[in-house]
Amino acid sequence: MTTAKAAAIILAKELRLEFRTRELLTATVIFALVVVVLFSFAFDPTAAESRRYGPGLLWIAILFAGSLMLNPSFAREQNNETLDALRMAPISSFAILLGKILANFIFMSLAELVLVPVFAVLYNLSLAGIVWRLILVLVLGTLGLTVTGTVFSAVSAHARMRELLLPLLLLPLLTPLLIAAVESTASLFAESPALDRTWFAFLAGFDIVFLTASWLLCDHLLAE
Amino acid sequence: MKNFEFLFTAWMVVWAVFFAYELSIARRITQTREEIERLKQQLQQR
Amino acid sequence: MKARFTITALVALLILCAGYAALFIAPDEATMHAIQRIFYFHVASWNAMFCAFFVAFYASVAYLVTGKRKWDALGVSGVEVGVLCCTIGLITGPLWARPVWGIWWTWDAKLTSTFILWLLFIAYLLLRGLVEDPEKKASLSAVFAIFASLDIPLVYLANRLWRTQHPQPVIAGGQGSGLDPTMSKVLLLCLLAVFCVMILVLIDRYRLELLRHDCAELKFEIESRGLDASEGAATPALQKGGQ
Repeated sequence: MTTAKAAAIILAKELRLEFRTRELLTATVIFALVVVVLFSFAFDPTAAESRRYGPGLLWIAILFAGSLMLNPSFAREQNNETLDALRMAPISSFAILLGKILANFIFMSLAELVLVPVFAVLYNLSLAGIVWRLILVLVLGTLGLTVTGTVFSAVSAHARMRELLLPLLLLPLLTPLLIAAVESTASLFAESPALDRTWFAFLAGFDIVFLTASWLLCDHLLAE
Repeated sequence: MKNFEFLFTAWMVVWAVFFAYELSIARRITQTREEIERLKQQLQQR
Repeated sequence: MKARFTITALVALLILCAGYAALFIAPDEATMHAIQRIFYFHVASWNAMFCAFFVAFYASVAYLVTGKRKWDALGVSGVEVGVLCCTIGLITGPLWARPVWGIWWTWDAKLTSTFILWLLFIAYLLLRGLVEDPEKKASLSAVFAIFASLDIPLVYLANRLWRTQHPQPVIAGGQGSGLDPTMSKVLLLCLLAVFCVMILVLIDRYRLELLRHDCAELKFEIESRGLDASEGAATPALQKGGQ
């Protein structure tokens, strides 16, 4: 079986599992909204201030929600010892990882689909004219988050206190991504929106580096 | 010398940290050696 | 044992020479005066930190390629000693900044990057403490160390593009940079001294890790024969294998 086909099967399994209950997705959206609302108490969001702090807090909400959402990705397999079964299947370990990365990417994107419009309304930011460029930035940022997050979810699944450990491993590593994503988003929310190419390229570079690294290391990550 | 106390503190910090760490390693090495001896004896006895 | 004693004595002598040179031989800096002398050990500790983290990165890759336990031991030693040097740098930095900048800390590129580096490798040590299975511990922490090492250049680049207040690199830092010849000789001596101390500590830490591994194997053997490994232990504290 090719890696792509195997990954598609894993992806389908993950989606089926999630859409049976939608627990994870609901919890993630609500958590991100809680973060966004809590921030509004931390400063009084006038239009000018929203433009200044808005991108930062949007990405903080996404990163925090992601670091919580990605946890069950492998922990769930660990609890029922289904990862051994997956490993025994005649597919490459990269297919397992890729399927899970894609599934997490879809979950995160769906959560952002709810989060971003609500955020724009609450913080009085106009999305008109920048929607496609914003989606591009969100896609690259979310990809970086889900690639590293899924890998670290496999790492922390074997540890005690894994719920606490995953954010500790993930968030410091994601600081370059956070800076690049915030700066790109801020360039779109500015008075005259223009996508900052340097930061956008940086974001793409981050994704490429860690996607390659996880491809190279996945055998050791999922080895028995 | 102006600001000598800062310089002195920094100076002490560098070597105190290394020294304390090295001491703790030496202590742990001795402990582990002792435990290995004990375990070896236990293996031979039984 | 005798060779080791000689080497330690030589390094101790080197430390004393470096200390004397940094405090009394190096010329006074024009604007910062005495406090500038922290620089010799501040820079040296960063240098040692990078070497230690590079050892950790190399050892992690080597562990994943060969699967030999000694590489895992070297990896954890490198990270732990690197974190130690990083801590020294993070303490001496603010001690310099307070009299010169008037503040202990600023969210400048280099400071922020290093702080993140410190957090990343502390997370590595935490991870090792929280995984029970020794095989898993070794391979997962090697994967994490490689990811963290790949992140270092990205962190520096992102922060560099973002903002900087830290003094520019004085050596090869563009136009107008360069050290007084005496200063650079003293700096070289200090770099060497801290580097040698780092290597000595690293070797000891490595030996400790190997001993712990032997100890764990013995325990495993005793337990597999159905005996109680904790029998006859001097104190309960000794039973803990540690990280």
